Amino acid sequence: MNKHYALNPGTRSGPRTREVWPPWVPHWTLVLMLAVVLMLGLGSPLVGLGAWVVPGPDTAAVAAAEQHDCLRCHGMATMAYRDPETGELVNLSLDKNELAYSVHGKLACSQCHEGGYDQYPHPAELSAAELNCVGCHEDHPENTDRLDFSVISQEYKKSVHATSDDPEAADFNCHSCHDPHVFRASLLGRKIPDIVAYDNQICLSCHEKLRDPLSSSHAWLPNRDKHWAAVRCLDCHTTLNDSDRPVSHEILSAEQSQVNCVNCHSQGQGLLARLYQYRSREDIEKQGFFTKAVYNQAYVVGMSRNPLIDWLALIIIGLTVLVLAGHGYGRYRAYQSLREQQAGTATEGDKS
Amino acid sequence: MTTAPMPRVINREATMSTLTEILTSATSKRRFIQLAGLLLALFLAYKFLYPLFFDAYVGKANAPLSYNSSRELTAIEFEALARELSEEARLEKAAAVVSEDQDPFARQVKTEILMNTPSVVSAVEPKHIEYFREAGIRQYKGPETCLRCHQTITVNHGNGELKTVNTLEDIVNSVHFKFQTSAGGFSTYGYDGRQVNAGPHKIPVGKIDRACGIPGSFTWTGWAALVESRPEAAGGEVEVRSEGCGQCHIGGNYQPATEKMMPIGDVPDSAKEGIDCLICHSRTYDMNKRYVIKDDKGTRWNQDRSMRAALTVAEIRNDNCLRCHQHNMGGDIYAHNVAATQLGDENQRLLHHGAKRGNPFSPQDDVHAAAGIQCTDCHVPEGHKIPRGRMGVDLVANDLPDVDVTCASCHSEAPHNNSEDKALLNGHIARMACETCHIKELEHNSVVLRDWVHPTWNAEEGVWEYTDIYQSGEPGKGFKFLWFNGNGTFLANALGNNPEGTGDYNPLMNQMVTIDDPEALAKIRAAAEKLKETYPEIDVDAYVKKATDPLSQLTPEMLAKRREMIDQNLKAAMNDGDSRIYPFKIFNAMMYEDMGNQGPFGAMILPFDYATYYESGDPKAAVQVAISDPIVKRMYQQVFKLYMMDEFMYYFGVMDGWKPNYPLVNGELVNVEPHWMRQMGTLMVNHGIQGKGRECKECHDPNGIMDFAALAYSPERVAELQDLEGLKQSGSSVGSSSQASATPSNP
Repeated sequence: MNKHYALNPGTRSGPRTREVWPPWVPHWTLVLMLAVVLMLGLGSPLVGLGAWVVPGPDTAAVAAAEQHDCLRCHGMATMAYRDPETGELVNLSLDKNELAYSVHGKLACSQCHEGGYDQYPHPAELSAAELNCVGCHEDHPENTDRLDFSVISQEYKKSVHATSDDPEAADFNCHSCHDPHVFRASLLGRKIPDIVAYDNQICLSCHEKLRDPLSSSHAWLPNRDKHWAAVRCLDCHTTLNDSDRPVSHEILSAEQSQVNCVNCHSQGQGLLARLYQYRSREDIEKQGFFTKAVYNQAYVVGMSRNPLIDWLALIIIGLTVLVLAGHGYGRYRAYQSLREQQAGTATEGDKS
Repeated sequence: MTTAPMPRVINREATMSTLTEILTSATSKRRFIQLAGLLLALFLAYKFLYPLFFDAYVGKANAPLSYNSSRELTAIEFEALARELSEEARLEKAAAVVSEDQDPFARQVKTEILMNTPSVVSAVEPKHIEYFREAGIRQYKGPETCLRCHQTITVNHGNGELKTVNTLEDIVNSVHFKFQTSAGGFSTYGYDGRQVNAGPHKIPVGKIDRACGIPGSFTWTGWAALVESRPEAAGGEVEVRSEGCGQCHIGGNYQPATEKMMPIGDVPDSAKEGIDCLICHSRTYDMNKRYVIKDDKGTRWNQDRSMRAALTVAEIRNDNCLRCHQHNMGGDIYAHNVAATQLGDENQRLLHHGAKRGNPFSPQDDVHAAAGIQCTDCHVPEGHKIPRGRMGVDLVANDLPDVDVTCASCHSEAPHNNSEDKALLNGHIARMACETCHIKELEHNSVVLRDWVHPTWNAEEGVWEYTDIYQSGEPGKGFKFLWFNGNGTFLANALGNNPEGTGDYNPLMNQMVTIDDPEALAKIRAAAEKLKETYPEIDVDAYVKKATDPLSQLTPEMLAKRREMIDQNLKAAMNDGDSRIYPFKIFNAMMYEDMGNQGPFGAMILPFDYATYYESGDPKAAVQVAISDPIVKRMYQQVFKLYMMDEFMYYFGVMDGWKPNYPLVNGELVNVEPHWMRQMGTLMVNHGIQGKGRECKECHDPNGIMDFAALAYSPERVAELQDLEGLKQSGSSVGSSSQASATPSNP
């Protein structure tokens, strides 16, 4: 079964909903792992660890040539077909520029799509093979705590996508969300709403029914659409943890997810630590803490980034109330004295 | 305080009384009556004098119209006709139902049963039989009969918005009637770089005022002509034939609806009564009634206004549209052009040899027509306005320029499901229109080069005809592949650019101004030599040169100006949007031109008078007669110049505006020369679609039909695109790691 899969959400003008990953993807893992093991065993100079991490000039040229050849067909923007079984569109097209800027942009295609693709049409059995990230990324030398794929793998195993017995989730894998031909390490520097749109598009490309204007899903959320525009699905649908990792890959089911406003709308740093953390860090570095706190991009009710401002605001409000009250009191006193004066004059007049 | 408002009331009453006094005073009354009288006079003048003045100004006539076919039936005649039509319809339906039955007698019995089955009768009997019977209508009198019930119609605006409109106004303001529009929204660009009618000064554009080499005339001067032919078969006897633009166009009677070109005024009621509703709406309209008749006001086109045609009014089907539109699609002499088999009970219509587009829409030659798809399935009407799509190369008026008519609206962007190569085929759609593969050839008689200046005697028809010196329906010859983004020029040149090209794409200096195919050149030379037999003054070499390289007619200064204007004015329109490769029927014509109004992209073409041309074979005389038409004279006057001709000329690329020097002086043509248009027109072809497209090899081969280099692909890319075997091996670099070359070697 194929998954709806957005190749490049948020980067084009309109939502692209028809992209579907080809059927051969889900079974790649075995072949690739086998290939990696074999090549490591054979000590292949090309596919050795050093080679794929930072391609040297030779390998870069090979990679470019290979990409050029593959993109002769796969670079056609409308290369796709309709799967006779599902009727869904299966997109085989790669955007040359997206690929170039993606984390895998410098790799030769055959690095992942091993052997046999030098012919057209490609052999059917190749297409049925599965490819998986962890197989390559496990021993990635750049692995840090944040990028630890073994942690990601463990988290993912607990994810609703991995544990669900829904037939639609049967072939779920990394590529269902992360298009390896487009994926960039981070979207640092982009506007928060763009990051949110990009991220949520990944989810919505499968959960497209949520877009239905008549859908009653998430109806409990006040200003549902505003939330969707400002908050990532992940912010509520992953476990809260205190680690430095940007986000957990343990996606929670609807029942398990955060239905607690206070998680975000409080001084608790839930959202700050996740969605806005890159931004905050970057901005704070650039602008200094105070300016950042004043000109921050996202105002979240109940969540101030700076207790000092909260106090300042409280003091200002308190002072305003005090001034108002004082003014009112003064008016009242003045009125009273006027009445007394008038009463006095009236009695005097009566007398006269 | 409570008394405060009182003075104001008094004040107001005072003012009122003063006002009343003023109004009732004798002088004011007089002034008032004068003003009312003036307004009434203006209104009456506009209503009654303006039409008379306008008719006199343009030299056209309008008069109440009568048609012989409109005849009142007696009650018995009506019932007899009703029964006949009902039986025809029931028989057709019953025969279709039982067509699978083997035994003829069983078929006959079942047919009879079915024909008298109430549900069949009510389902297929023409609806208007009952309507007319009840309303007591026994004569079809034209629009007034239709409007008795169809005073208003509900228009669906595609987006679900429904609107009730006056039917007559709806049709009168549609391009089917008006023949032009001043509305913006054209994807047409003037050679001056401005989008046509996007600015404040809007001019009427459309077929009404557009001279072109295919009809050879204006609608103004070529509306309805009677031609005396002398066919061989008749032994020199005169046979009168009908010719003119009005044969297909419902607007206007003695002339096109010129009144609609003005910002004020309206077509007279008599012209509206001449609208031929039935040619589009009747199932049984008799095209044999469509011929030119002459009365004391002039010539006009006859119509079928019979009760038979009126009673069979039903939903529009392909045959309705094709009565006229097969003429410019398959062509007049296309084998399956039904209208061309019904040329008229008298004054038979002349058929035009040489198809304009040569892409027929018929079950025999179009996969959609064969599947029973109706014209209106794609061209979904909004009332009487019918969309042509956004992609306009020509200046033919478009009622709904923002409504799409596309293949993808039904087929999606992944239409191929049947082939092993489906994904690759779908991949082509990013750069290519469906038509590029699925129209393999046009009708063989599609005209590419038409010489109006050297007519040829057609013995069979007994008339002098234009000479088609080159016809072809083959790719590269009859049609060319060009980049197209939906924009076109004022003289019908497709605009676009290669999105990954070298930047050298410039069809107005290349594809549209050269014929260099050796086979085509040989045929053109042969045609020129044949023409020389009749016209000994022809210099064959020079003739072929001008016909196949029309830019050779320009002076070096003009040529330089042309390059500059393309570069400065058209580049933006070329680079706009997403270009794809489309097939375009190419066409050029040699006609007489007013050289006083010449620019780098052409000069004002002068029309021919059909009767003079066909009868005498003297094109100069035909021009003289045509431009003696009062409206052409008006065209060469200040009012027309300011109203539209200056603007027309700017779009035309003549930046000095319109030179109103009437080219006929003392019966002699002045400053008039025969020339080929400076570039070929490119006509979109979208019909005649084949289910099976081209084979890969037809294009992806060094000898393929697609000239990739001309489409501004880089030499490396051209080599790749022409190397199908290399593609199948997907470059030798994949898999074998040593080779780093990006370019696959050419075998």
